[in-house]
Amino acid sequence: MSLGLVLALLTAAALFGIGLYGALSQTNLVMIMMGVELILGGALLDLVAFWRFLHPGSYPGQMFVLIVMTVMAVEMAVGFGVAIARFRARGSVEMEEARELQG
Amino acid sequence: MTGTPMSPLQLAFVAFFGLAAVWFALVVFRTSSMMRSALALLFSQTALGALFLALQAEFLGVLQIMMMATEMSIMAIFMVMFMMDPGGLGQMDMTHQKRLSILAGVIAAVAIAAVALLTPWGAPATTVPSPADQLQGLGRELLGRSMLVFETAGITILTAMVAATAVAMPAFERRRER
Amino acid sequence: MSVLAPLLALAAIAYIVVVLDGWLSTGRLRPFAPATAALGLLARESVVPRSPDRLFFETAPVLLLIAAVLAAAVLPLGPGLVIADLATGALFVNAAFAYVLVALLMAGWGPDGAYAMVGGWRFLGQTIAYSMLIVMPITAVAMRAQSLSTADIVRSQAGLWNVLYQPLGFALFFVAGMAVAFLPPFDLPTAPGELAGGVEAEYTGARLAVFRIARTVLVVSLATATTVFYLGGWLGPGLPPWAWSALKTLAVAAAMLELGHAVPRIREAHLLAWAWKAGIPLALLNIFLVGVLLLVLP
Repeated sequence: MSLGLVLALLTAAALFGIGLYGALSQTNLVMIMMGVELILGGALLDLVAFWRFLHPGSYPGQMFVLIVMTVMAVEMAVGFGVAIARFRARGSVEMEEARELQG
Repeated sequence: MTGTPMSPLQLAFVAFFGLAAVWFALVVFRTSSMMRSALALLFSQTALGALFLALQAEFLGVLQIMMMATEMSIMAIFMVMFMMDPGGLGQMDMTHQKRLSILAGVIAAVAIAAVALLTPWGAPATTVPSPADQLQGLGRELLGRSMLVFETAGITILTAMVAATAVAMPAFERRRER
Repeated sequence: MSVLAPLLALAAIAYIVVVLDGWLSTGRLRPFAPATAALGLLARESVVPRSPDRLFFETAPVLLLIAAVLAAAVLPLGPGLVIADLATGALFVNAAFAYVLVALLMAGWGPDGAYAMVGGWRFLGQTIAYSMLIVMPITAVAMRAQSLSTADIVRSQAGLWNVLYQPLGFALFFVAGMAVAFLPPFDLPTAPGELAGGVEAEYTGARLAVFRIARTVLVVSLATATTVFYLGGWLGPGLPPWAWSALKTLAVAAAMLELGHAVPRIREAHLLAWAWKAGIPLALLNIFLVGVLLLVLP
């Protein structure tokens, strides 16, 4: 049980909580994605903290971090593509107006 | 706390960058200016990258700092494109189900913090490979044991690029009209 | 001490680059021009736009300077003459140059002015064009050195400089470097005629002095990066290592500043098309060729 590990994990918990608040409370797709980025950032911090304090010699931990970063980038790319398509079809990316699948 | 794997200075950096990351994350949702929101997220992720550096994961820290600068700047332009009030001068409240989301956020954070504080993690490691060794080790891992994961990630990124571009292109019918 | 010497060297090279640029473009050698210009700017009235986003308006020039200095901090001017010899130095250079984008976005958004905003967002498009062309040649250079440390990269060129080993990478990195520093023909964010100064337009007085100094230090950082990655850094017979570094950096910086004047400003759409359809395949070809050379040559 190390102070550094506890600090890092608490920071990750805070980032996850703020990200979850943002993802649930915002109405705009871009703001929701910002919340998701914060959630993934919290997960990354957890991974790096566990790598540093529990298994520093094990590189699959760092590999996992690279994969999560890849997921962040890919999710942003596809999300913004969808946002552009939605904006072209409807004129806004407000999620409140996106309740129906049709149209 | 038996044995300190980190020097007090390193701990101070971890605490400082952790606080910076959380503070900037709060600013993201507290400010009404969209540009400030996007750049606050950028600096939150940069603080996270600096935190990785403080945790002696040098390559990951530099990678995070580099990637997030460009990614969040692109998010900034999308915010300016899609949002009604990018300057934040209208003071409109763009949220819904606020109480539920605050509750969800707080419960999630408290649950994770509880797990973090109550689990017996065991003795922390005191020796970390040097950055050069980490780089070599990560490279060998990427191209050795995790080669399949690496290749899949590469193909996934390429697919996502092509898919996002295809989704974002104007509809075929409209182009034929012109 | 070990932090001060490289910083002073950086400042000296930046000063000489400005004098050199003035001499090459006007034909008159005026060694005190940068100092008097800076003092003049500091003494002038500082006009602030009517409703700026204060935070961004103030931070942008400082962030540009910090990004340029951070990039130069990991580049060695001689064996041991480096502020921080990181094991991932080459990647850190790229990370620092990414904050040039953030600084110019802030400078574009801050003043709440049309020309500045257009300039700022144009630079984002420019970044999409040049970022791969900066990173992929660095990858090929690191392949030859088998390390991301900038000192190792210089030492790996003891036999043959990278400019001859991977000329394609050198050409791409040089051109992309000009785009990072928004030098003509890539001066889209500050387009002097078209945008009346763009991101630079709303800055006056001391802030303009910091912006211009930051831009010069950025050019010097890019020239130093080109020297370290492709021209063998401090390697060379006869002169002391720091002299070779300084000479090569000055030559590259002069080339970056002067070569663009012959070409008209490139349009955003054409820049993106050239970078993605021609530049990236060439960069990938460069990586492939370097890989083959590394495997075939002893």
